[in-house]
Amino acid sequence: MEVEDIDEFDINQMKDKEIVIPGEVLSEDLTNFTPGRGTTKQGNKIISLFVGLKVIRKNYVNVIPLRGIYTPTEGDKVIGVIIDKNPVKWKLDINARNFGILKPSNTVARTQKFRKGRPDGAYETTEKFSVGDVLIVKITQADRLHHPELTTQGKYLGKRHSGKLIEIPPPKIPRIIGRKGSMINLLKEMTNCNIFVTQNGRIWIQGDNFENEMLLIDTIHKIETEAHTSGLTDRIKDFIINEKTRRGIN
Amino acid sequence: MSLLIKDESPEKLIGEDGKRLDGRDLNELRPIMMEVGVIPNADGSAYIEWGGNKVYAAVYGPREVHPRHDARPDRGILRTFYRMTTFSVSERKRPAPGRREKEISMIIKMAIEPVLFLELYPDSVVEVFIEIISADGGTRCACIAVAILALADAGIPMKGLITAVAAGKVDGKLIIDCSGDEDKSGEADLPCAISWYNNQIALLQFDGIMNLEEFDKSIDQIIEALEKIRKLQEEALKKRYIDVRDHLKNYKPKVVTTNNIEEKIDSNNQKNQNGGDQTE
Repeated sequence: MEVEDIDEFDINQMKDKEIVIPGEVLSEDLTNFTPGRGTTKQGNKIISLFVGLKVIRKNYVNVIPLRGIYTPTEGDKVIGVIIDKNPVKWKLDINARNFGILKPSNTVARTQKFRKGRPDGAYETTEKFSVGDVLIVKITQADRLHHPELTTQGKYLGKRHSGKLIEIPPPKIPRIIGRKGSMINLLKEMTNCNIFVTQNGRIWIQGDNFENEMLLIDTIHKIETEAHTSGLTDRIKDFIINEKTRRGIN
Repeated sequence: MSLLIKDESPEKLIGEDGKRLDGRDLNELRPIMMEVGVIPNADGSAYIEWGGNKVYAAVYGPREVHPRHDARPDRGILRTFYRMTTFSVSERKRPAPGRREKEISMIIKMAIEPVLFLELYPDSVVEVFIEIISADGGTRCACIAVAILALADAGIPMKGLITAVAAGKVDGKLIIDCSGDEDKSGEADLPCAISWYNNQIALLQFDGIMNLEEFDKSIDQIIEALEKIRKLQEEALKKRYIDVRDHLKNYKPKVVTTNNIEEKIDSNNQKNQNGGDQTE
């Protein structure tokens, strides 16, 4: 769900992509086309597995789903909310099938851990965060059978003390980012807000005032409902300008 | 004055003009309306109005299985809950799930499970809650049709849709899509579901008396009716997204660069102020 997806949501596309439903025949030409993501081969046909948009890239027929859950992938930065803790680990709701596990040793830099004068195990408690805290974490380990392992060591990672958290369907996240980050830059510039978009469908925002934050939230929900349409960036620009005038924000 | 509605069915179910009690032809369906995405808090949801039936379906998951020993390490599991509300039938229905509800939950699950790719979600569960708000014959067929829509809306990968309808025999004549009265006092009832990806039967139940010729003829009628319902299902799934597009079709974006936003806002403000003065 990274660069490739963002490319597929081509903002400059002239034509709306076809909406397909599960079981719909995408192609009967198996010599020239291969089933890609979101599709399968049934007899001598390629059929769709999701409600989504049909996209043909080279000789692959793909379907981008419009709804669905987030599947944790190694290296993703996600926003989690602590739902439980015990003396050795925190459990984080990361909007996926399983909760993520964050261990105290993964919240401290390696250099800090062995500093002189620190008693052994000083960082091995879970007193640092409490239930309900919002953290930006990175997934260090994820597969189909185990709970994802998380870390807070890295750039932009750690606890958020302020700001707002909103949620949209994870498949629509590429549209918030836009092609090469065009949409997110537009939002940042026009609303003066800090935005952190993560692949699990959660967006953390912080603006200099309440009005700008609310405008940004409304804009994101507009993008969410119109994610499958073309010419979105221009429309969003217009929307923000009009709303600013209407609400009296400068 | 008694507020109780009497639950009596008439003796003759087919009139002299060859039409049924509600004015339908023998192979005519009741009006069907389907909608997707009706419950915002669910991962996927759908609603159907099929004649007098009103059914909601909500899908949650894939999520963790509780109790944990129900989980399968090689595949996800599907749980379906068919429930009738107490006010859905003429006499109050006791809310506890009875034998009938457990059975129908099971057959819906068995019909739907083969089309889903549950092996992609090991150790997890997909739950489908089906609530019947109003019942008028053929609820299990309506439930299958609406449950598969809710699952598709939730983004669960599937090979194709499933559609169901009931055929029957009333006053010696074969009918399609039995209503409540026809269900109760008819001679036979034959609910049938088809999964479209391989054109095979996903559900077939039978109750009553019919000879083999009549049975074959009923199946043919069912397939004909199912094609119509399938189209409605497909429309319902696409409608949610196509509506937004149609709404935006005539939109003409004004090209504005981020550099001249401030000018734009200022000019807009001035316009607004002028406009406001005039109206005042």
